[in-house]
Amino acid sequence: MSHHRPSPPISRRDALRKIGSGFGNLGLAGLIAGTAPEAHGVLPSAAPLAPKAPHFAPKAKHVIQLFMPGGPSQVDTFDYKPLIAKHAGERPAIVDKKSLRNTKNGLLPSPWGFKQYGECGKWVSDIFPHTAECVDDICFIHSMHTDIPEHAGAILKFNLGHLQPSRPSLGSWLCYGLGTENQNLPGFVAMSPKAQPRGKAANWGNAFLPGAYSGVYANIASMEPGSILRDLKNQHLSRTEQRHQADLLAELNRFDLERQQQDQKLESSIQAMEMAFRMQFAVPEVFDTVDESKSTHELYGESDFAKGCLIARRLVERGVRMVQLSHSVSGYDIAWDTGHGDILHHETLARTCDQGIAALLKDLKQRGLLDETLVIWGGEFGRAPTSEGKMGRDHDHYGFTVWMAGGGVKPGYTHGATDEFGCSAVENPVHVHDMHATILHLMGLDHERLTYRYSGRDFRLTDVHGHVVHDIIA
Amino acid sequence: MNCPEGPQRYIASEPPERAGWRSGRVNRLALSTLRHVARRGSSFVVLLSLLVGAQGSATNAPEDFEFFESEVRPILVNYCYGCHSNIARSVRSDFRLDSRASLLKGGTRGPAVVPGKPEESLLIEAIRRESLEMPPSGPNERLNGAQIAVLTKWVEMGAPWPEVSESALRSGEGRYDWETAREHWAWQPIQKVSPPPVRKKKKVRNPIDQFVVDGLRKAGLKQPKPALAAVFVRRAFFDLIGMPPTPDELEHWVVALDATRKGNLNDDAVAQLIDALLERPQYGERWGRLWLDLVRYSDTGGWSQDNGSFPNAWRYRDWVVDALNSDMPYNEFVRHQIAGDTIDREASIGTGFFALGPSYSSDGGDPVATAQAKSETLDDRVDTFSRTFLGLTMACARCHDHKFDPIPIQDYYSIAGIFNNSKGGETPLVGAEVVREYQEVRRPINELRVKVRDVRQTAGKEKRPVSDEEQMQIEAWQAESDKLDEESPPKYAFVHTLSDTGGEDMRVAVRGNLMKPGQVAPRRFLRLIEGKEREHFTEGSGRRQLADAVVDPGNPLTARVIVNRIWMNHFGRALVRTPSNFGTLGEKPTHPELLDWLASTFMESGWSIKSLHRTIMMSATYRSSSAFDERAFSADGDNRSIWRMNARRMDVETWRDSLLAVTNELDVSLGGPPVENIVDSNRRTLYASVSRNDPYITDEFLRLFDFPIPRASSAKRTSSVIPQQFLFMMNSSFMLDRARALGQRLQEESGTQEGQIRQGYHLLYGRQPSERELETAARFLAGDMPTESGPDRWQQYCQVLLSANEFMYIR
Repeated sequence: MSHHRPSPPISRRDALRKIGSGFGNLGLAGLIAGTAPEAHGVLPSAAPLAPKAPHFAPKAKHVIQLFMPGGPSQVDTFDYKPLIAKHAGERPAIVDKKSLRNTKNGLLPSPWGFKQYGECGKWVSDIFPHTAECVDDICFIHSMHTDIPEHAGAILKFNLGHLQPSRPSLGSWLCYGLGTENQNLPGFVAMSPKAQPRGKAANWGNAFLPGAYSGVYANIASMEPGSILRDLKNQHLSRTEQRHQADLLAELNRFDLERQQQDQKLESSIQAMEMAFRMQFAVPEVFDTVDESKSTHELYGESDFAKGCLIARRLVERGVRMVQLSHSVSGYDIAWDTGHGDILHHETLARTCDQGIAALLKDLKQRGLLDETLVIWGGEFGRAPTSEGKMGRDHDHYGFTVWMAGGGVKPGYTHGATDEFGCSAVENPVHVHDMHATILHLMGLDHERLTYRYSGRDFRLTDVHGHVVHDIIA
Repeated sequence: MNCPEGPQRYIASEPPERAGWRSGRVNRLALSTLRHVARRGSSFVVLLSLLVGAQGSATNAPEDFEFFESEVRPILVNYCYGCHSNIARSVRSDFRLDSRASLLKGGTRGPAVVPGKPEESLLIEAIRRESLEMPPSGPNERLNGAQIAVLTKWVEMGAPWPEVSESALRSGEGRYDWETAREHWAWQPIQKVSPPPVRKKKKVRNPIDQFVVDGLRKAGLKQPKPALAAVFVRRAFFDLIGMPPTPDELEHWVVALDATRKGNLNDDAVAQLIDALLERPQYGERWGRLWLDLVRYSDTGGWSQDNGSFPNAWRYRDWVVDALNSDMPYNEFVRHQIAGDTIDREASIGTGFFALGPSYSSDGGDPVATAQAKSETLDDRVDTFSRTFLGLTMACARCHDHKFDPIPIQDYYSIAGIFNNSKGGETPLVGAEVVREYQEVRRPINELRVKVRDVRQTAGKEKRPVSDEEQMQIEAWQAESDKLDEESPPKYAFVHTLSDTGGEDMRVAVRGNLMKPGQVAPRRFLRLIEGKEREHFTEGSGRRQLADAVVDPGNPLTARVIVNRIWMNHFGRALVRTPSNFGTLGEKPTHPELLDWLASTFMESGWSIKSLHRTIMMSATYRSSSAFDERAFSADGDNRSIWRMNARRMDVETWRDSLLAVTNELDVSLGGPPVENIVDSNRRTLYASVSRNDPYITDEFLRLFDFPIPRASSAKRTSSVIPQQFLFMMNSSFMLDRARALGQRLQEESGTQEGQIRQGYHLLYGRQPSERELETAARFLAGDMPTESGPDRWQQYCQVLLSANEFMYIR
């Protein structure tokens, strides 16, 4: 059931002997995933979310994905293309590509200015002034491309490597491959200020992997620490009263364990209950940011997205493997798609996330966490340099920008390029599968070896595709 | 798809020049979007040149094919395939542009291309808009000058088209050594083996025990002791109806079973108990749900790209329950689900098996996305069909010949082709007259809605906003249609079914890409089962013939697969522990002769599932105690020899139903539309509204306890123990409500605290509490009362009894 070398079936006794401390500690971490549907009668690993050894030394230990559903325009954000203005209104052959809505208009110059920042001299649009201050920590990939120009499929492609929602998500694969460091918190947390991204739970779902690897959606809409997870809080009992009740349950279960001579998942269930007890206090603690300093709060600013960024930092600080923070400003599940009608909406969207993003990078760096945390920014595709209607831009899956920071990528670096108008990836193209292969690589996993046998087949995040982009690795 | 590493059994060695294209590295190129082909460089062309055969356009040089792939095909894909290819929903003018042959053949207007002569080619005329105007205005608009030049040049060159050659595909006929391949146990005919003789006849109840005891003897293990009567009664109840016995029932059956008082249970009483439970409608509910796991049953589609709406899915669910309750022979049960529409209206409900599956679509009409969506939908049909009925992983043969089992890619498309000629729709369960009447009522409503749409569309086309006057008109029409809508009667009863749309064989999709059609794959059954000469399915889609092939007694898989599933749900572990994969990568049966004996007995009984339950449950093996045995455990920790009954953690349905049953709150009414929020309901968990994606409260609850995500057939539940389950047990209002109800019930039934505790143990666990347990309870109950208005100590205690492991285990 795992990517690790298959081990011969072991008897429970062997298992106990190996663990060495008798019944009491079997399933210490307390989580027992069931055997996979086709697992071969081997004892399930005692704790599916316990930390596991990677395939090789990792560069990063955590991932924070800042997901921008809807498709931010590359030429209005980080992929500076001054030639567009020179040829405004023209439609050179190189940009004459079939777009989703088959727009036929000419080049539309970005309504925003660009300035150079940092030692690397990166050009960044005026709508991202805060992020611009961090360019020397960022590795830009301008040559991303994906399979289709439709949101639903491309979003899933970006988050699970498949156009349909039938595969496990990136974070689920990471938890399956690496476990997680803090057993009082979920290994993979997904959140969004207002709307879940299109495809909803599939974006953090476990599909056919055991349920323990599913992302947990944290409801940060109300920022009410007690309602982050369902049933997290006991509405009636004090902590002491709860302790008494939990002790009673543990005692009854222990009697049962003795009667049954320890032979089921009983011990692990006792441990899981203990963990649930601790989670009730550990989870609200992470989501309650009152203990952060005034300067930290000021650094992040007031936006909902920024609060998510701050919580993301708190989560990885406590050992959570992956955080997926999706942007949204209303109930609309593909926020950045407002670029169709009027690209000027990008300014509003950028304003609601820019400061939080920059704060996250600075904060992580200051705490020495950036080295071990891979931050990924981007949407499922980009937007065309030509116009749709008067001021809009249609989808562009031929070329778009994703950037990464920390976690072993080259700082202040730019990889790949689109053509001179920013339409298609022409230099060192990076497909979404390549991005996934690279992320797994940075986390110490070989994307070709991280497999799961299901329905007679070995599945991978990258299917039969993907090449690690060694060029961006520091 | 990444395929498992391992020896390539049965596969004749491949010529070296073909070895590459089966590897993932090359597939990567082929499977991804065609539009990126040009940029991806020349390896694709190299690959193609390996595949190119003589019948394409033999006189062309490789550069010509490169030109086709980089310049021509992208135009065809982007501008034409939407209406003229095998991915089109309906092919226009009977004309397809997805192979050279179809271009030369043309459509209703004759050949589209005369190689070498653009001026005589209809295709060129059309794109120049000289006679026909193609692409028509609308989403694809006209081609630009450069694109027209490309196509003209291409026709001038003789329309080079790299066809995929016969030898490159070879589709199975030469790839497997069929003689050797057939040696795998599962493809062998079912043999009714005589059960081996055993010495201690006293402990044997039927032939099942002879097989099992023989195996235990060979493993040096002892036959287990029988379970206590009370344990057995609870086990039988949970197994057959998914609910615990009431205290009265428990007492009644314990007395009846223990009549002999020699440790053995009274055979007649066991038979009576089994029959009594099989007669209850809850039997069909329980076993129907187990079937629905395989069916990946859902009441809704999965949203975004799987938008199907199935308001009447529940009628299929109820049909399954009824079929099991009436002991419909399994071969009929299968027939109805594959081809019920060819039998009668009632039987057509069974085709919900396929009609309720995910049906993917693209959300923008992009050709690559459309092809992918169609391909995934067909994959669902083939995968669910082959795993559920045959225990075969046919989906492995979607992009290439199956690497481990003798299933050529052509067999995949033979089956996919059957579903490619079938579509989901509605079948009314009422007379034509009622349908007509309903349509009459709806007609004015629909007309008004069309009017509204037309006005809006006109304004849109004229690129102007709707005028105030028009807006007023629209509102008036809307008000009228809403009023009529409200007054109109609810829609008549109907079911989601499958029906035939045609009878055309499909082409193999080269490397799984529907945009690259290869050889024709005649619709027919698997060579692995029927041999080389097989019937071509030509009646409509061919589903009826497919159904016949599946339930043919000579098919070695169908009966073995179902008896193995039934066995698994009685014992917690199957004889073949990969119940949906009987292929060479699956597990071998722990008791091959027993499996065959069960399968042949099952067919002899007229494929009666109820009779199979009786046979299994009457055995001493099923009656075994689940007690631990140190020696047996160290010899066979996985219990493959069945040295005891497996204790099982309840699935979520049994657990929740049992919680409501012991508090006297369970609503046992049968059937009907699903319950949106099952956590707030008292109905059986079977009736929860199940969805493929969205975390409704119901889904969230079910998945917390390992309910499978119904995107694909699920053969076996996982059983996870995770902390969030305990958050639910300790903090949810559902559990607090049950605790309150249990507390009240116990207080009503006994006047003393000790009496209440004793009654609680009897009711929940089927036994009396030990002294230690009584003391523990007394100590807890004597503790401080909570200061606030929360649950008192008694309720807290009841909640613990309900949350305890003992309540959740079937032993």
